[in-house]
Amino acid sequence: MASINFPAVSQVLPTTNTNATAASTAASGQKSFAAFLKDSLNEVNKAQNESDNLTTKLAKGEDVDLSQVMIASQKANITMQATIEIRNKAVEAYQEMMRMTV
Amino acid sequence: MSIFQGINTTGSALTAQRLRMDVISSNMANADSTRGKLVDGEWEPYKRKSVVLQAQEESTFASHLNAAKNVGNGVKVSKIVEDETPFELVYDPDNADANEDGYVQMPNVDPLREMVDLMSASRSYEANITVLNASKSMLMKTLEIGK
Repeated sequence: MASINFPAVSQVLPTTNTNATAASTAASGQKSFAAFLKDSLNEVNKAQNESDNLTTKLAKGEDVDLSQVMIASQKANITMQATIEIRNKAVEAYQEMMRMTV
Repeated sequence: MSIFQGINTTGSALTAQRLRMDVISSNMANADSTRGKLVDGEWEPYKRKSVVLQAQEESTFASHLNAAKNVGNGVKVSKIVEDETPFELVYDPDNADANEDGYVQMPNVDPLREMVDLMSASRSYEANITVLNASKSMLMKTLEIGK
């Protein structure tokens, strides 16, 4: 999960300026926010799958280390919590926008 | 360096200590085994085994270049060695493995020493779990930033 360090949103999305040149420099220089989010989600999914796999193997009685199973589940837990926090922040930002008086 | 570096390192230590515990179990179980290995048609008693722990370092050009800020990658069991101290001779003429003078070679396992090793392995395991929990609670605290 090295990709969890998001650059500041302003770096990724040149907000007010929506013309083509600005967008293309952002795209070539850095990954877009959506790509970051997708990558992170994939990582989280991978951690969950790994934990699932190991748990199934353990349940089947295959040769897996109990400590490795526990560690995988803890990693899955931490990455999941991180995702939830990011989701909360995104929803918070959206609600802040919705509260704006027009 | 991933955010799970510490947890991975601790995981390797847990695996290593677990293996050490397995080796100690084998020593304890075979403390009286007069037939450990067949050498030239003669039974040799069980030899005490012990693990050799080694720091796990990745050996690439880049890792040597970055040696100064290398935090390490944990531990691994590099090999399991046999104790070569001589066997104890016990007088037991009725034993099937007794020699013509009635002496039997017993394994060079000292149960007392194995118990101490067992304690050491078990405490080391606990210590590493404490490190792992601390590492996890640090990460969880990090997620509380801005709440």
